[in-house]
Amino acid sequence: MEQGLKDEIEIYKRALKREKAARKAAEEILEQKSTELYDLTQELKQANSKLQKTVKEQTTELQGVFENIIDAYIVMDLWGNVLKMNEAAISLLGYNNSNNDFNLFAIADKDEVENVMSTFEVLMSEGSVTDFKVKLNTKFGKQIIAQVNASVIIDENNKAIAAQGIIRDVTFENKYRQAIEVEKQKYSRIIANMHLGLIELDKEEKIMMANYSFCEMAGYTEEELIGQVGKELLPAEEDKELVHEKNIERKNGRSNAYGARVKKKNGDIRYWLISGAPNYDLNGNIIGSIGITFDITDLKNLQLQKEGLLKTLETRNNELHEYAHIVSHDLKSPLRSINALVSWLKEDNKTILDEVSMQNFAHIETTLEKMEQLITDILAYSSAGSEDKEKAEVDLDVLITDLVKILYVPEHITVSINTKLPVVKGDQTKLQQLFQNLISNAVKFIDKPEGKIDINVKELPSYYEFSVADNGIGIDNKFHDKIFKIFHSLKKSKDSTGIGLSIVKKIVDLHEGEVWLESQVDLGTTFYFTIKK
Amino acid sequence: MSKLNILLIEDDMIEVMKLNRAVSSLKLQHNIVEANNGEDALKVLEQKDKLPDVILLDLNMPKINGIEFLKILKSDDRLKYIPTIILTTSSNKRDLLACFEIGIAGYVLKPLKYDDYVFKIEKLLSYWSMNELITA
Repeated sequence: MEQGLKDEIEIYKRALKREKAARKAAEEILEQKSTELYDLTQELKQANSKLQKTVKEQTTELQGVFENIIDAYIVMDLWGNVLKMNEAAISLLGYNNSNNDFNLFAIADKDEVENVMSTFEVLMSEGSVTDFKVKLNTKFGKQIIAQVNASVIIDENNKAIAAQGIIRDVTFENKYRQAIEVEKQKYSRIIANMHLGLIELDKEEKIMMANYSFCEMAGYTEEELIGQVGKELLPAEEDKELVHEKNIERKNGRSNAYGARVKKKNGDIRYWLISGAPNYDLNGNIIGSIGITFDITDLKNLQLQKEGLLKTLETRNNELHEYAHIVSHDLKSPLRSINALVSWLKEDNKTILDEVSMQNFAHIETTLEKMEQLITDILAYSSAGSEDKEKAEVDLDVLITDLVKILYVPEHITVSINTKLPVVKGDQTKLQQLFQNLISNAVKFIDKPEGKIDINVKELPSYYEFSVADNGIGIDNKFHDKIFKIFHSLKKSKDSTGIGLSIVKKIVDLHEGEVWLESQVDLGTTFYFTIKK
Repeated sequence: MSKLNILLIEDDMIEVMKLNRAVSSLKLQHNIVEANNGEDALKVLEQKDKLPDVILLDLNMPKINGIEFLKILKSDDRLKYIPTIILTTSSNKRDLLACFEIGIAGYVLKPLKYDDYVFKIEKLLSYWSMNELITA
């Protein structure tokens, strides 16, 4: 048993010894660790102070940036109280947080409350907002439109603790933009409501934009038009080539205007006046073209109608002219035959015919002459109104002086031109006939032993007033209107057919003038007429 | 003065009588061939060996009118050399111009009075009888 106890003691002793040794080893390790820890702490201390230095430097640097930033910069807490603001912010808003507390929310215009709150919510949930526009009332009593770009500042636990933002005054910018917008709307309205069609084509001649009027004109909706190639869809078959050519011109930078036929959606053909110009971008490159269109169908139809009428009128005039000549020929030919036959009868029966018969033959001949004159005058009258010659400068002084020389004027009548006659624009032959008819008329009605015919002219602002005065039998007032009408002769005689004065009237009308007369029975008559300068 | 072969193209009987009477009363020896219209005249002109020296042509005729006849005449290689004088009552400037454009040797208006007519015919024929003519 004793031996057993001894063994047991021995075991404990050994264990104790081992334990001692182990404790010692542990102590040694502990000591070593402790030294390491100390060293580490020292190192950390050093690093920390280094870091602090760096942080300080950085903060100073930031402070510099913050103070020198051109835009207004503000830091506020989550209730809008301004914590920090730079010089630019102070001068923009007029408030200074270092003097008085001031709250950013409080200076927002009162009708912006909702706007501010909802934006603030976005800021909190998203962490930032950009291009937030808000009306702010500055300390100077001025309202500005501020553009705010803001973000939240968070602490180490990712918790928002403040917000910072840059504020820009965009009041003017905004006003300009509004003004531009107003102008833009104004022009859009004009474009939409004007009665001119407007389209914008891209380089491939596809329609990019068409205004209301254009759609109306073409009968398509804007949706149907957009993307379509204009020159394929719209022009009528006959004018496709024309439109194509004009588009090429436009591509070369030339503006143009032309008329073309267009087929509407419903198949109607309309005439459009198309005016096109190349469209440039800001750098001056051609990016397509702009076309303005105007429906001129009604005008065009009127024009065509007018042309047609003019053509018909011309044909009619020609026909009338020919007709007058044919009628005159057909009427004159028998007169010639009768005259020849009468003349032969006279000649062949000279010895048999008595004086009365010879006189009757003479009457036949006189009647034939009168008939002949009548036909000649009617022909002259019918062609007097036709304007088949261009008006030219006519020197009336030369013309009328020559005319007086060749006209038959009896010995006892003197024709005098008392004022130098002017040069007028007109038809020479007709002007001569005008004077000739008036002079011959005067000659015919002079009953005095000493006849006088005076030709005068008076210059008035826009026309010349001519007068042909005689000392003949005069014309009773009641006939003054009648005598210019065809076949109204006041004197039944061989040489008076009643056409001469109606020709005068026609010629004066042709020269845009007027004709009238003054007369006293037995004393004489003065015919006046005007010719436009 | 040479004796002329005259082709008178005229549809009016009395006009034909007028020329014949005028020529005989003037005691001229000219030979007058009559044709009542353009068609007849063309038949006369088919005899190339008996072509007239001058043609007196009326403008207003049925069937082929004077101007149409003149055109046919002037497009013929041989006939175009025959002097053609228009004898008409028409003083229509357009006719006058048209005739000279196609080619005529004269344009004489028929006066109303027969005596004036004789006077004109005398001058006309004496002028042409003085001329050297291709056919003569």
